[in-house]
Amino acid sequence: MSDLIAVERVGKRYLTGSGPIEALRDVSLTVGAGEFCTLIGPSGCGKSTLLGMLGGLVVPDGGRVVVDGRAVTGPDPRRVATVFQEAGLFPWRTALENIEFGLELQGVPRAQRRVVATELLGPLGLREFGAKYPRELSGGMRQRVAIGRALAIDTQIILMDEPFGALDEQTRLLMGEWLLDIWRRTRKTVVFVTHSLHEALALSTRVVVMTARPGRIKSVLELPMAYPRAMESADLIALRAKLWSDIRDESLRAMGDA
Amino acid sequence: MRVALIRLAILGALVLAWELLARAANPLLYVPPSVVVPALGRLLVLDSYPELPQSLLLTLREIVIAYALAIAAGLGCGFVLGLNRLVGRAYGPILAALYAVPAVVWYPSLMLFFGLDAASKIAFGFLLGFFPITLAVLAGVRQVNPHMVLVARAFGARPAVVFAKVMVPAMLFTLVGGLRTGLALSVIGVIVGEILGSKGGMGALINHAYGLFRTADYVALVLVTLALVVASDVVASLVERRAQRWSD
Repeated sequence: MSDLIAVERVGKRYLTGSGPIEALRDVSLTVGAGEFCTLIGPSGCGKSTLLGMLGGLVVPDGGRVVVDGRAVTGPDPRRVATVFQEAGLFPWRTALENIEFGLELQGVPRAQRRVVATELLGPLGLREFGAKYPRELSGGMRQRVAIGRALAIDTQIILMDEPFGALDEQTRLLMGEWLLDIWRRTRKTVVFVTHSLHEALALSTRVVVMTARPGRIKSVLELPMAYPRAMESADLIALRAKLWSDIRDESLRAMGDA
Repeated sequence: MRVALIRLAILGALVLAWELLARAANPLLYVPPSVVVPALGRLLVLDSYPELPQSLLLTLREIVIAYALAIAAGLGCGFVLGLNRLVGRAYGPILAALYAVPAVVWYPSLMLFFGLDAASKIAFGFLLGFFPITLAVLAGVRQVNPHMVLVARAFGARPAVVFAKVMVPAMLFTLVGGLRTGLALSVIGVIVGEILGSKGGMGALINHAYGLFRTADYVALVLVTLALVVASDVVASLVERRAQRWSD
């Protein structure tokens, strides 16, 4: 696997009312094409900041991010699509029109983008809901529309910042299975931020554990197991224990800090 | 249906009470409906005031110009102040304080600057319409969910696109509400301006009739002016309803 994404020694400080906060320190990471790479760590460890750098929404103070051979200087919707924790749909647009948003910005003609968006409704499980407005959809449906909006622009890379964080647990499990199915069919490269150990273990080819603030990389776990995964298998239970012990240490540090 | 009937009954009772009270008191001062209706007829066939069409047109023209200026300046000012956080924070309270001053106190100086002709009426209508539009834009800009702006940026939207495709639709309802209030106030400004001192327009006719104790004609002129105001507000409310259906 070649490195599609290379993060080279990035750092980030934020200035706040109570002084500077160092969100990230000296983080380096590579993600290969077709990987499902998950970032996990305690709250405030800079996972979202790192994801923001990959998407060109956050400028690193030092170091750089290279995507597909080019240094990232801003959002690049031809290579990278982002799904946020909050669906962020436009309430004045129907589900279909929301899915079309990125294509519209890229100047794709109306008829053509309608075809693309309509074809996505099936795999999104929204076949009957294209003409509905976001307020008429459930939380899970809204998040699928947001994922559809990211899939529509057909980028090689999809960044997901806790996309299921706001959903109830059952919906969340189903959405995980659904996402896995989509990912395996499209072979896109996914960088995924989550707080959920289950999500990390069920979905990822690789899990990156980050430390408490300032965020650095604590450990990296490779998960070569086939999908769909038997979560009760011996190797996954062992990995879960290792993952939890890493995260637990950092979460305790983060709590002691707070 | 029942509501309409009750409303009709209330109106009928009011007209009847008006008629009886006016007859009991001085019919010259408290013009009863039975006198107003023929006066209105004479007015509409251009008997009592042949210059009615020109006056209406003049007032209408003043309103349109005042309102157009209020929209342009209100949107411009609102967006400049609303999009520049720092400047907006500095100016917001000043604007709100100015808005709270009864605008009519400015009118004498407007007459001094612009004279007794249309310009001072336009200036006053503009002044009244400008504030609600500006304040609606400021409120609307604050309403825009920053997360939506972030999403749009992530999908490659440049500032102008964020403005057109996210900010304007997100604040549309508030914006249209402000435009509606602005229209009502521009109309009031122009008519009040005419009444306070002018040589033309509906206000001048009203002053004339009132000054000569032609109270029936005066009431008829007021009714015509009222119809103009109500018509403009009906148009505005239709636009507003449309915007409401379109936004959230």
